[in-house]
Amino acid sequence: MKLNFKKQFSTLALVTGFAVSASMSMAGECRVAEASMDKPGGFPDRALTMIVPYGPGGGSGQVAAAMAEAVTGLTGVSINRDHKPGGSGTVGMTAYMAAPADGYNVLEHIDDASSAHALDSSRPNPAEDLIPLVVSQVTFSQIYIRSNETRYTDWPSFVEWVQAQNGKATIANVSKEGSMERVIMKFITEASDMQIQQISFDKGAPRYGALLGGQVDALFEQPGDVRKFLDAGNFKPILTVFNERPGVFSDVPTHREMGMDFEPLLRFRGFYVHKGAPSERVDWLKWAFQRAYCEDSYQAFNDSKFMNVIDSYRDTAGAIDMINAAIVQYRDVYKEMGLDVK
Amino acid sequence: MIENFLAGTATLFGDPFTIGIFVFGVLGGMLFGAIPGVSMLTLAAILLPFTADLSPAQGVMLFAVIYCTGTYGGAITAILFNIPGAPENAPTAFDGYPMTQKGMAGKAVGAAVLCSAIGGVASALVMMSATEPLAQWAIMNIGPPEIFALVFFGLAVASSVGGRTIWKGWLSVLLGLLIATIGQDPVGGINRFNFGYSDLAAGIAFVPAILGFFAVSEIFIQAEKNVSGKYLAPKFNVDFPSFFELWAHKIAVVRSILVGFFCGILPGIGATLAAFMGYGEAVRWSKNKAEFGTGKLEGVISSETANNAATGAAMIPLLALGLPGGALTAMMVAVFQMHDLEPGPLVFYNSPELIWIVFAAMFYANLSILFVGLIETKTILYLLKIPFQFLAPMILMLASIGAYISRGLVLDVIVMFIAGIIGFLLRRSGYSIPGIVLGLILGKIGEQNFAQGMQMVHYDLGTYFSRPICTILIVAGVLTLLKSLHSAFFQKPKVT
Repeated sequence: MKLNFKKQFSTLALVTGFAVSASMSMAGECRVAEASMDKPGGFPDRALTMIVPYGPGGGSGQVAAAMAEAVTGLTGVSINRDHKPGGSGTVGMTAYMAAPADGYNVLEHIDDASSAHALDSSRPNPAEDLIPLVVSQVTFSQIYIRSNETRYTDWPSFVEWVQAQNGKATIANVSKEGSMERVIMKFITEASDMQIQQISFDKGAPRYGALLGGQVDALFEQPGDVRKFLDAGNFKPILTVFNERPGVFSDVPTHREMGMDFEPLLRFRGFYVHKGAPSERVDWLKWAFQRAYCEDSYQAFNDSKFMNVIDSYRDTAGAIDMINAAIVQYRDVYKEMGLDVK
Repeated sequence: MIENFLAGTATLFGDPFTIGIFVFGVLGGMLFGAIPGVSMLTLAAILLPFTADLSPAQGVMLFAVIYCTGTYGGAITAILFNIPGAPENAPTAFDGYPMTQKGMAGKAVGAAVLCSAIGGVASALVMMSATEPLAQWAIMNIGPPEIFALVFFGLAVASSVGGRTIWKGWLSVLLGLLIATIGQDPVGGINRFNFGYSDLAAGIAFVPAILGFFAVSEIFIQAEKNVSGKYLAPKFNVDFPSFFELWAHKIAVVRSILVGFFCGILPGIGATLAAFMGYGEAVRWSKNKAEFGTGKLEGVISSETANNAATGAAMIPLLALGLPGGALTAMMVAVFQMHDLEPGPLVFYNSPELIWIVFAAMFYANLSILFVGLIETKTILYLLKIPFQFLAPMILMLASIGAYISRGLVLDVIVMFIAGIIGFLLRRSGYSIPGIVLGLILGKIGEQNFAQGMQMVHYDLGTYFSRPICTILIVAGVLTLLKSLHSAFFQKPKVT
């Protein structure tokens, strides 16, 4: 059964369009005017705890470290990072929901929290059960091949080659049930009329090694995570899943240019606080995290991760719009895919 | 190579501050490696922000040194108290702790110190001489089907370790494999056996399970003996193994270096699989398999040589390709990135001096294990003189902290005590705790790679046999299984 993309997303175009392409020219720009803010009632008078639902070495661990450093540099308030990996972010989210809602506990999470709620509404909704302080990384996905690949060199030749393999071609990604990767791959394969075997690697190193070593034919990933392989000339992007060509990938076609008419799902990482936290503390945290995004150290980090290629910043309102749009989009797609949406 | 190594050595020891960082890494790695739960990863996570103030070479060197000495550190508590400091030290406890009970703690610890140093130094030398070609060979030839075949090969021998009969050994391994299936499946992310409890979605963590099966069950057993008046304190002994005792195990050392190195070079695998495979191969090639798990020096030698041999090997895919082999090497990537560097092929051309300082530091860190370890051992063995009624609560408290602190979940403390009770009951009935732990750890790795491999070969199991390495390992594993079955039908039960 093919998805009716135009019907599926026509009602979402306005909201999602805002979320996706607010303005590429605003990437990295600081949008918080106040350089300082008084601590409400002395809050915080001790270190904050940031629960991170993934390990310290991965993308979430790194953005948590960079944001914590920036907030501390800006405010002088220390942040202890508490990594609780496992269950695709479930363990960390559960631990956070059980922590006191006093403003001293904040959460880092990625778009998996939104897709998890879309699939099972008993899971916390990041836009309603939490308050987004800031989304500080928004990025798109690409499909990569080895730079020295000779069987195909660009997207059209890749599609042609995959079609000729009758389902034997392989692509490495994180294809867990309902994941952003699996949903986008479903869009792509149906729109391109090709079958490709998705190999799920939950850790980056084996995933990238699989492409480097020729164990798989292609890789689905976000550019910041494979930057070193791009800089070293090991990998070559052949398709960008985004509505327009980002400047640094101006020679790589977008999915729309290749005839695939679907709204791209984005990977985003952000910081949250409990819905029930005292409002004046929430306001201070919003300022601290949104302003910390402007700090040189954080901007340097985002630059190093290709995270300023498109607009990576969403304040609380922008983050809520983005999350709500993503939840609606995921939920509709899950129903179309026949998943048990609760 | 020699010139580069000497230049790296000169830079390393030419600056007092760099020497200070090196010494801090050596001692810190040993200390944090020895405390259960508070592993070398904890120390690395604490130090990560501070590396921004160091030079790139100092930062990466510090982490490399911690990696070497931290991998060794957990062996001491595994041998003396049946508390492995980390999963990669668990096989060391299989025979190390029984040796302590027999009054051979000095020999076990001495062998662990020496073999950790030998494994680490050998690994560092190979790393220095052939990083790039080895990394290329590994990623071109080893994929999920080969890793699954390797795990299958390792599991095939697991029934021989520690059980009263081979059947009980197999049931123990199968229980471990069953426990490994708790949590999300490794491919689809579907929850299994979590009974709606979200913390179980991540499965049973290795650290609390190992602490429960080893340390807590041991406390219960010793407490029972204490109450019934049968308790015998471990004999205090600081005699190190003689040169001839160690020389008699030279083949085991070489075999474990090869096994450890092979496992370490695989991206995402690392020292834990190396230690279990090193131990398993010692059992496979032994004429006296039944002696393993009862206090055999070769068990300690094989495990500790293999896990340290994995440290240098794990640096190969990291430095040559930018692919970290485990959690600590993944953190090293962050250290590189904090200094606007990326590990991978370009770092050899852009920062050769950094690479050779790291290589030299790892070489000397492994040598330091020998000297610092021997001094440390002479003092730490006196802990065995503490009476059981004081030692047992201390171990339980330490184990509880270790179980909790790794993820900050009360669930992990509960899991530890449940594992302790199960371990206590199963050990009384002659089942194998090493078998359960082997099944748990190898099961998780094996299932993930089997599922990925099946996707890769389009669910055609026969395609596994079109891959030579895979074929050899699976055939060897099947032969081992058949031999084990033959023994099970015709052997007489052990008298214990």
